[in-house]
Amino acid sequence: MIIDTNAYLGPYAFRQLRHNTVDGLLKLMDAKGIAKAWVSSAAAITHRNAQPANEEMAESVRDHRDRLIPLAVINPFYAGWQDDLTACKEQLGMKGLRLYPKWHNYSLTDKCCLDLVDAATALSMPVTIPIRAEDYRQRSWLVDVKDVALAEIVPLIKAKPRARFVLLNGAGYTGSPLGKKNNGLPANYWIEISRLSAVMGSEIEKLVETLGPDRVVFGTGMPFNAPDPSLVKIEVLQASQKDKDRICGQNAAALIA
Amino acid sequence: MIPHIKTGTIPNLSLNRREFLASAVATAAAWPVVSAFARGSSKDKKDVVIDCHSHLSFRASPTDEGNEAIVLDAADKLGIDVICCSVLPKRPATVEGFQAANRVMAAAHKRHPDRFLGYCFVNPGCGAAALDEIRRCMDLPGFIGVKLYNEYFCTDPIVFPLVELTIELKVPILHHAGHSHYPVKEQPKMSDSGHLAELAKRYPEARLICGHVGGGGDWEWTIKALRHAKSVYLDTSGSVIDEAMIDMAVKVLTPDRLLFGCDMSWTAGIGKIRAAQLNAEDRRKILGGNMQRLLALRGRRA
Repeated sequence: MIIDTNAYLGPYAFRQLRHNTVDGLLKLMDAKGIAKAWVSSAAAITHRNAQPANEEMAESVRDHRDRLIPLAVINPFYAGWQDDLTACKEQLGMKGLRLYPKWHNYSLTDKCCLDLVDAATALSMPVTIPIRAEDYRQRSWLVDVKDVALAEIVPLIKAKPRARFVLLNGAGYTGSPLGKKNNGLPANYWIEISRLSAVMGSEIEKLVETLGPDRVVFGTGMPFNAPDPSLVKIEVLQASQKDKDRICGQNAAALIA
Repeated sequence: MIPHIKTGTIPNLSLNRREFLASAVATAAAWPVVSAFARGSSKDKKDVVIDCHSHLSFRASPTDEGNEAIVLDAADKLGIDVICCSVLPKRPATVEGFQAANRVMAAAHKRHPDRFLGYCFVNPGCGAAALDEIRRCMDLPGFIGVKLYNEYFCTDPIVFPLVELTIELKVPILHHAGHSHYPVKEQPKMSDSGHLAELAKRYPEARLICGHVGGGGDWEWTIKALRHAKSVYLDTSGSVIDEAMIDMAVKVLTPDRLLFGCDMSWTAGIGKIRAAQLNAEDRRKILGGNMQRLLALRGRRA
């Protein structure tokens, strides 16, 4: 079973997305053989108050919880985030968290963010961190939102060993402590494959070797991205079927039971 | 037809090349197995997959032969038959620099004549030496065109003699390009598709390829700026895998003006074409048919 840990619903501020409705995304998943997807609101990336977008997204997937698993976008510097997190978990049934530290203008090690991670951990919610929403080079003239630097993630992971982090839309991990063997970091983070190479010095293979096949998860970035490149990566990946099964779905399923 | 894998299945790693490509389209028989450029091949040339934008500049191996093997391994895994490469020297390139780079390219073709074709890299600022290098390379087997990078905007008059020479030789220019909505400090003279459209207006006989629609930058702008520049092709390469990118390019430019490429982003390159809503004939054109047609205008000298 393939589970996409990196999917979105709703409109995005800077370009039209296709397949961004529940029906559209489910059709795309059917066409590509993707059984389930962790989804969050694309609109919440740029909204000041993300909670209405969380509510709208949760409502839209209400009848499809078997396939679309909603995640909350929370800005820990916005008033009332504690109430919003509680509502996302208890009333909206959201299973995890998505953080946008660059879009929402805070540091991952700010006290508010650490408090949010603690609160999510207490609610058994994994914390996903998209390194980017889109390629930085195509940014609008209105914004200058850089990628989250891998170096900024390391202290957060160290500081919160009981939390579970899933790093999305990233690359270059093998050049960072995050991708090294025996790196002294807690084994509390997972890495998603959509921007990792699968041939010519495959970064996915290296991460399977250094972190283990239990720490790599499938994801596409759909509908921002076409899902096919990630599926191609799995096809050409030099790994056992057992390891592919873990990467494609078992690891994600264990993160959100 | 859109590629289809049944829900709940996970791609099997033991696919051979034929099966791998067959999984991409319903019309499995239309996909390539071996290079039609290979001597003695009986394969239908219309099914050849040609990556129109690649490089042999990286140093993953201490030897050129090792680097070529690494590229061929990736191409084999992804079902790419022919790889059109340039070797990029340190830029701004000197005469000695681009001559050495082109020698590496020539040697790669000599070792793998059925797999590597080459673009001659030059710096337009080198004047007569750049023109001489183009003439020299185009007399060698395996060179199919000229690669220009970002030393000058393609609309700079210093580039015009090179364009006129490629018209005379009937070979294409693959031009590095991208459009950003902010100054790109590292590439102050990077051309965009608007520059290429302007160049095409001046030289309608030139065979121009606008590099990597997914190479970073506003790809919607890139596509729209090329709409009326009917003689300019757009290559599909680059690491950006935004959904709808290829479909928009097909809609605005027609499939006849698109050339498949990876620019070393291998799974992105193949995945984008899989994702596009193309019929089998248009897919064949983009994957290799259009490039074959472009190369046939000169006649291949392999």
